[in-house]
Amino acid sequence: MEWSLDKVQKGAQPRVNDSPAAAEAVEKNVLMGKVEDWVAWGQANSLWPYNFGISCCYVEFASSLMPDYDLARFGAEVIRATPRQADFMVIAGTVFRKMAPVVQRLYDQMLEPKWVISMGSCANSGGLYDVYSVVQGVDKFLPVDIYMQGCPPSPNSFHHAFTLLQEIVASERRSASWIVGPEGVQKIARKSQRETMREKRLDIVELRSPDEV
Amino acid sequence: MNTEALDVTAMQQDLARSGAVIELFNKFGESLFTIQITADEIPTLWVSRAHSYGVLNFLRNNINQPYLLLYDLTAIDERHRDHREGQPSSEFTVLYHLISPSRNDDIRIKVALDDADLVLSTVSTLWRSANWYEREVWDMFGIVFEGHPNLHRILMPSTWKGHPLRKEHPCRATEMEDFNLTDEWVEEEQEALRFDPEKWGIETDTGKDTDYMYLNLGPNHPSAHGAFRVMMQLEGEEIINSVAEIGFHHRGAEKIGERQSWHSYIPYTDRVDYVAGVMNNLPYVLSLEKMAGIVVPERAKVIRIMLCELSRIMSHLLFYGTFAQDLGQMSPVLYMFIDREKGYKIIEAITGGRQHPSWFRIGGVAQDLPRGWDKMVAEFVDYLPKRLDHYNDMVMRNSIVKQRSKGLGSFTTEEGWDWAATGPMLRATGCDWDIRKKRPYAGYDQFEFEVPEGVNGDIYDRCAVRVEEMRQSIRIIKQCLDNMPEGPYKADHRLTTPPPKELAMQDIETLIQHFTTVTWGPVIPPGECVVPIEATKGMNGYYLISDGSTSSYRTRIRTPSFAHLQMVPFMGNGLMIADLIAIIASIDFVMADVDR
Ligand code: SF4
Repeated sequence: MEWSLDKVQKGAQPRVNDSPAAAEAVEKNVLMGKVEDWVAWGQANSLWPYNFGISCCYVEFASSLMPDYDLARFGAEVIRATPRQADFMVIAGTVFRKMAPVVQRLYDQMLEPKWVISMGSCANSGGLYDVYSVVQGVDKFLPVDIYMQGCPPSPNSFHHAFTLLQEIVASERRSASWIVGPEGVQKIARKSQRETMREKRLDIVELRSPDEV
Repeated sequence: MNTEALDVTAMQQDLARSGAVIELFNKFGESLFTIQITADEIPTLWVSRAHSYGVLNFLRNNINQPYLLLYDLTAIDERHRDHREGQPSSEFTVLYHLISPSRNDDIRIKVALDDADLVLSTVSTLWRSANWYEREVWDMFGIVFEGHPNLHRILMPSTWKGHPLRKEHPCRATEMEDFNLTDEWVEEEQEALRFDPEKWGIETDTGKDTDYMYLNLGPNHPSAHGAFRVMMQLEGEEIINSVAEIGFHHRGAEKIGERQSWHSYIPYTDRVDYVAGVMNNLPYVLSLEKMAGIVVPERAKVIRIMLCELSRIMSHLLFYGTFAQDLGQMSPVLYMFIDREKGYKIIEAITGGRQHPSWFRIGGVAQDLPRGWDKMVAEFVDYLPKRLDHYNDMVMRNSIVKQRSKGLGSFTTEEGWDWAATGPMLRATGCDWDIRKKRPYAGYDQFEFEVPEGVNGDIYDRCAVRVEEMRQSIRIIKQCLDNMPEGPYKADHRLTTPPPKELAMQDIETLIQHFTTVTWGPVIPPGECVVPIEATKGMNGYYLISDGSTSSYRTRIRTPSFAHLQMVPFMGNGLMIADLIAIIASIDFVMADVDR
């Protein structure tokens, strides 16, 4: 970013105050960066979840808000009862056919930018419920940013998913206006957790015996 | 073979001699009935369609100590069933399971129907609870109940084609046309969800110069505790009329029972009342064990009871917190979730799971208790009562809570029976109907505990009963802790699943037996059985029909929440919207327990 509030005069020397005090003051008080970077940073650290749950997974989602787990640590405790005020939606539970039009409408009511976490096997793929009344995965009709495995996933893994979402929100770029750059979201290609975690997981060779608490 | 036949006749004679059956025979003549023998030894009588209403009316209204509780009303598609020995021919059977509280006795009435003529008269005039049950049977089987006030679909969307529990209806979504959500489809479905008061027989004319307002609460509302909705007709803040609509959480659990092996269905039971963990496994395995004749060892029984009572505490704590929250208290739920985490620690240490342990097995439990369990449990039972005292000051003695819950949403014991209320809902009216005491199952007769009762049957009392129940559960858990028997944790029986490994390696026969039980699953002998239990929310039971194969022929899940949710309009009409929220909270239902 190269600009200044002063009129640039050709050939003029820039006014420089090179006293150490001035340098320190600048260092402490001035931050520079792109607007979209700051916006992304702000968004990632104050995500407001939509208080939405369909079935069992919601109980674990609720647990993750509670004192033992404390989602507030991540700046996301402001659960909203209306989609219009929320930044992201956790599909916590089974997506029923009878519920699908409702879920779609609620999603539509959220303002852009918005993100979706698919929590648990049911929302991922139908899970245990390959049955007439269940949609086989919420991604049949909604774009999903994070998939969480588990039936239900524990509150800890919800936090894991949430921090991954924060990374996405912080790294994705949306140009401030179509005049400045291309419209829409610029998605960043991401590695799956399976790949990222492989080494670490392979290191685990001993599991705790279930005979002992 | 001969001795077996003799046994059956002897049993039939026994049943024929039992109370209500004699009275029915005296009243209507013996020739009207066919007796069926079932594994649960509940007198089961077949009666023709022409006489069914009369018989049911007699049992409900005219007999001494009447059958006030319509425990269950459901149907069976019999068209593919092989083992129907001694039963009249039938393509679709409607069955009524009735309970007489004063006799503490059950009776089952079955009516045979032809596929070509699926019509029967309604009993919603005899039991108010029958309304939803009949709608469910219509929705799932296509059986018409003549005279029913509003026979609409209840679980499936009103746009659905077909009746899912008929054998020809596909079970899997992947066997059906791909799901494709288009804008038109969303519009259509949304339109079908539009509330039309006339469809529900609701008078729209105020008789004044004003109009009613209609308000739709749900299917996604933060204080509705799940995916269901109440459509209200309002005059100002007052609810004139309301209709509850369910089915947004129908996971086809009954249909799935027909495709899973007996053993691999256990995880599905956890997900029915999804806040009550292993408590859900119990009625299912009890019913199977009764059919298979498995005797569960003492240690397994006590382990089961301990975990069930722990689950009851977990469920009640969740209720307690969210109840307080719905009445405007923000903090209790935060405290109670801390306690729930402590409970989860124990459940996790013992079962490896948190919310859905799926840990009971046919014939016992999945594994023995881990070393050190007793210390954890001892700490918990020591810790919780003090917390409950604290909550008592915080919630139960709070004057706002009292004002918002005392004297509201109340009903009498009589009305409770009529609506098929059970569990704390019913006990809050001052009734001691707790089947752990009335007909002890799974070893509850060995424990000392009280059955807490309310007085007024209002919102406050329902909460008070559950709070006291937690203390009683702690008492039971203490007794488990002090008296845990030694011995095996699963039964020594060939249908125990998975079978004890020690039995596998004796000879080729035992090896084959072990191999087939593990790979295909056990084959449960043909029969019908239900063993109701006192679950966290009321009477829960799995009515299972085995046709002598590796999976069930029909799985019927009778859940308390279904009956309770039906009472919402009954309790809420005439009150304010805010009272309705309190009523909904006080029912303590779980949508999966309603819609299954
Ligand atoms: S994934 Fe499991 S826990 Fe979550 S909603 Fe589905 S069945 Fe329930």
